[in-house]
Amino acid sequence: MQRGDSAAWDEAFAWLWPTVFAVARLRLQPFLPDEIEDVAIESLEALVEKVRGVKTVEELKPLAASIAHHRAVSLLRERFAQKRGEGKTESLDATTEDGDPKHDPASPDSPLDALEEKELAERLQKSLGALKPPLGDVLSDFFLHGLRYEEIARKHGIAVGSVGVYLKRGLETLRRIWGGRDDS
Amino acid sequence: MNDERFFDLAMKVIVRQGTDAERAEFDALLASQPELKAEFARLQADVRTAKGALPLVNATEATAGELPAYARGRLQTKVRHTLGSPDTTKHRGWSWRWAIGLAATTSVIVLGLLLLNPSRPVIEVAMLDTAGGVRGAETNQVSLLQARWKEVRQFSNALESVAWERQPSARGDFAKIIYDPAAAEVRVSGRAGGKNFTTTIAVEKNLAGALDEAVHFARDQFGH
Repeated sequence: MQRGDSAAWDEAFAWLWPTVFAVARLRLQPFLPDEIEDVAIESLEALVEKVRGVKTVEELKPLAASIAHHRAVSLLRERFAQKRGEGKTESLDATTEDGDPKHDPASPDSPLDALEEKELAERLQKSLGALKPPLGDVLSDFFLHGLRYEEIARKHGIAVGSVGVYLKRGLETLRRIWGGRDDS
Repeated sequence: MNDERFFDLAMKVIVRQGTDAERAEFDALLASQPELKAEFARLQADVRTAKGALPLVNATEATAGELPAYARGRLQTKVRHTLGSPDTTKHRGWSWRWAIGLAATTSVIVLGLLLLNPSRPVIEVAMLDTAGGVRGAETNQVSLLQARWKEVRQFSNALESVAWERQPSARGDFAKIIYDPAAAEVRVSGRAGGKNFTTTIAVEKNLAGALDEAVHFARDQFGH
């Protein structure tokens, strides 16, 4: 890939597309859904420029995700600035369907945005390695999808009493990786 | 009141899942043990961190969706302009280039997972099926792996297989064994005692023997 092998890049683009698209959609869906595909493609183009600094294949997905995240954030900020320039002061938070804009991934001032591209990629890579099944799914089911202990236990075939153990371990893992960042 | 109960109550209160009784129990607990307020504040911060990071982590792991056909040309142009044409006379570079080439022949990977024992090293086993999956000799080979290792998963992307080979599967000692029929070899890689190891075993006619050799090699690294 670093030498421009087109077949290798075809494989890589196909493999990385779901990641960059999903990350771009995470940020842009509530505000700029028509821009998601463009941002995803631009992110892969940016990855091509950075591939010489990549040492191992497992760095690719987190780096692609980080690039897509930052490009989506940049686009949001650019459009924000344009709106302000036109005298429109509408809050993008107010347009979200999520009732908790503080935690909305599309919130324009997420602490994740403060991380440099490389640092965010590194933290993502660590998270992917640490949240092995079913840990990541248990966390997502409880904190993102609102499932109850009993529902999570049934879904993953674990004891109800183990759900809290998974949650505790997962929170400690995320705190260790994300440096105890406070997203408020 | 033990730590687990406090944690579970705190979680339910933070995400507003608690019943009235649980909320009352939690409030009474905080009133009787004010020192728990600091712990509760820390858990609230942890939950905010989780809610902030998990969506991005999950999106990074996304696998659904296909690259739009129109984008391929644009991206390949970017590759040519940025990296130039590949040197076809040399095949150095990342050691995973072989896998990308094999991907063109539709690779399906059958992964078996063997947990020898929670307290012992982990051995994972995979198969790269360049013939496209379950037919003919490959069926027998898959069956051979499945007969020896109880949990079997499948991948269909060569890059992911290489990522799997390189991704540590455990904090402690581990080994990854992958059978590659196209290359007629079994590769072993892993870590034992903080040191990485790797070897390649040629498969001639006896896959079972090569797998035995791979497992023995891994166990030798673990000192078993």
